[in-house]
Amino acid sequence: MYREDFLEKLKQSEEEWRERNRREIEEAEAKEVSCEDGIPLNLLYTPSGNQIDFFEDIGFPGEFPYTRGFDASGYRKGLWTPSQYAGFGNQRETNQLFKKMIEHGNVPYLALDLPTQNGYDPDHPMALGEVGRAGTPVNSLKDWEIIFDGINVGDIYIGTVANAQAAVILAMHVVSAEKQGAELKNLRGSLQNDILKEYTSRGNYIFPVEPSLRLVTDVIEYCAKNLPSYWPICVCGGHFSEAGSNRIHEVAFALANAFTYIDEVLKRELPIDLFTKGFFFLMKTNHYDFFEEVVKFRAMRKIWAKTLKGRYGATNPESLKLKILAHAGGSLMTKERAELNIARNTIACMAGALGGIQLIGLKTMDEVFGIPAEKAQLTAVGTQHVVAYETGVPDVVDPLGGSYFVETLTKEFENQVLKEMDRIERMGGVVKGIESGYFRRVIAEDAYKSHKDLELGRKVKVGVNKFRVEEEFTLRPYKPDPEEEVRQIEALRELKRSRNNALVEKTLGDLKEMAGRPSSSKNNLVIPIIEAVRAYATMGEICGALRAVFGEYQEPPVL
Amino acid sequence: MEKKERQIRVLLGKPGLCGHDRGVLVLAMALRDAGMEVIYSGRHNSPEQIVEAAIQEDVDILGVSILSGAHVSLCRRIGELLREKEAQDICFVAGGFIPDEDVPELKAMGVREVFGVTSSIEEIIEYFRQTTRNG
Repeated sequence: MYREDFLEKLKQSEEEWRERNRREIEEAEAKEVSCEDGIPLNLLYTPSGNQIDFFEDIGFPGEFPYTRGFDASGYRKGLWTPSQYAGFGNQRETNQLFKKMIEHGNVPYLALDLPTQNGYDPDHPMALGEVGRAGTPVNSLKDWEIIFDGINVGDIYIGTVANAQAAVILAMHVVSAEKQGAELKNLRGSLQNDILKEYTSRGNYIFPVEPSLRLVTDVIEYCAKNLPSYWPICVCGGHFSEAGSNRIHEVAFALANAFTYIDEVLKRELPIDLFTKGFFFLMKTNHYDFFEEVVKFRAMRKIWAKTLKGRYGATNPESLKLKILAHAGGSLMTKERAELNIARNTIACMAGALGGIQLIGLKTMDEVFGIPAEKAQLTAVGTQHVVAYETGVPDVVDPLGGSYFVETLTKEFENQVLKEMDRIERMGGVVKGIESGYFRRVIAEDAYKSHKDLELGRKVKVGVNKFRVEEEFTLRPYKPDPEEEVRQIEALRELKRSRNNALVEKTLGDLKEMAGRPSSSKNNLVIPIIEAVRAYATMGEICGALRAVFGEYQEPPVL
Repeated sequence: MEKKERQIRVLLGKPGLCGHDRGVLVLAMALRDAGMEVIYSGRHNSPEQIVEAAIQEDVDILGVSILSGAHVSLCRRIGELLREKEAQDICFVAGGFIPDEDVPELKAMGVREVFGVTSSIEEIIEYFRQTTRNG
């Protein structure tokens, strides 16, 4: 990349600089410094010794390999979208919150409570104590209609956290849009629909791996054919990070999962460019190892583009451009000196913005206390606005591009991720790694290492193991109403009294019948699920019908 | 020869639907490094399964981790089951996202100690050693 005579002169000058400052430099280098994942950090980076090729590795924004970003003009074309994860314990309150958040320019990213995510109605024994706690219950189309009452679902983007039962939530979105008279081809929204990471980190799985992959594929195929503006799959790396994985594993595991889904959909003989534009990624954007966080987004885009083009033969730029949503990490928020979480979130937001990503969600300062208070949610949105409108960060595309440090780290990070992905491939792929417990073990080991670093003071957390101050945090988190469970069960009974139960039975029977047939385009389960949803079958009934056919996942022991 | 202290047996479990088990896995590894015998019963356990496993495995300590907000209902049920099965000699402890104001209620249900996001592993190990020493 540089001329020989320049490099020669540089080498000589660098040696002279070292000599002039020998003692200071030696002292600084005596202590080894590295990112948490082990990538060593030099004291100084210069053009010498770096193996970066401008055209191969960096290039121009909006063009292959997209290291420098998704659009040629970056955020001048349009700022990233704030997307806060939110959902109160009951549908009416969530409706009010969403209306307010939409006014503040935030797209709703609907948090679902755990019974909903695990396919149980609120009256199931496993739902005990969980109703309306980690998000909003969506027990049937009726609840979805309340949450989006007065909101034009065909007009806005709606994200949801649905995974194991993603097809059911998709069906609710589709049916509610149809009822509002919206055009399906314009429907915008996203599901998570990323079941593999449920097995390896988050834990909200229902069915065994194989039928789950069938459901994921059905959803992607349905959307590719009917909802071209929808993002049917959000491949998540952030959950690995939250479960304790280091950054290399966060990215390698997410990309390996994504390519597993692509391989599954290709079995349906769909052209690669028809469906991969519906893929996007949910990662963490964290404040620690700040520059590596920026680098992560740049390296991911590059690996994605190169693999899509090289391995899968994709040609449409929309398939090659990796869309990234990133959330700040809840596990990094502290109970001690909780106001400092606003600072952590601000830096996390900067990392995402400098990484050129499309959507950002921050955690709230009261994250560790419970479901965030409305004030804390709005402060988090406001924090994004400060970064977006007061710093000037969006004015220049990929402003850190060309930094000797950032480019060297991007290349090194890319190499480490590719190495890990290669290891997964050699062990027989992601499904094998789930069966052997590989992913769960690696993530647990990373988490243990990180925890030990903290307890031994090798890593600093302000307010926790350094600069401790005893103080009271006054903001009260949202308090779920313990009576909510009773009300939700009552509403469910009322629904079952008022709907056409014969029709519900019929649609559930049709669903079971089709689920019993082999996985194929002809037997796409989204179609019968839409009919069951339309008849107001409940989440528990629909997932129950599928449980009866598919069985449930039994996790192998981790330890 | 010095008599070796009996190895402390611990069952750690995740009752309910909360799948976040980073904390409980880290604790399991640390307890093992501290010389305890640890069984992790995994995720999506019902209270009945957890209590059954604790009795079967003859553990000294039963630790549950709950981050979803369902701790009051789940601990109440586990406390009841331990009493029904006359297994109150098992020291029942809880951890996770548990607001301070819920701690007295949990203790009244039979939870002997509550550890939260600010508890250190050292503190938990020390408590387990103390409590098994005192019987």
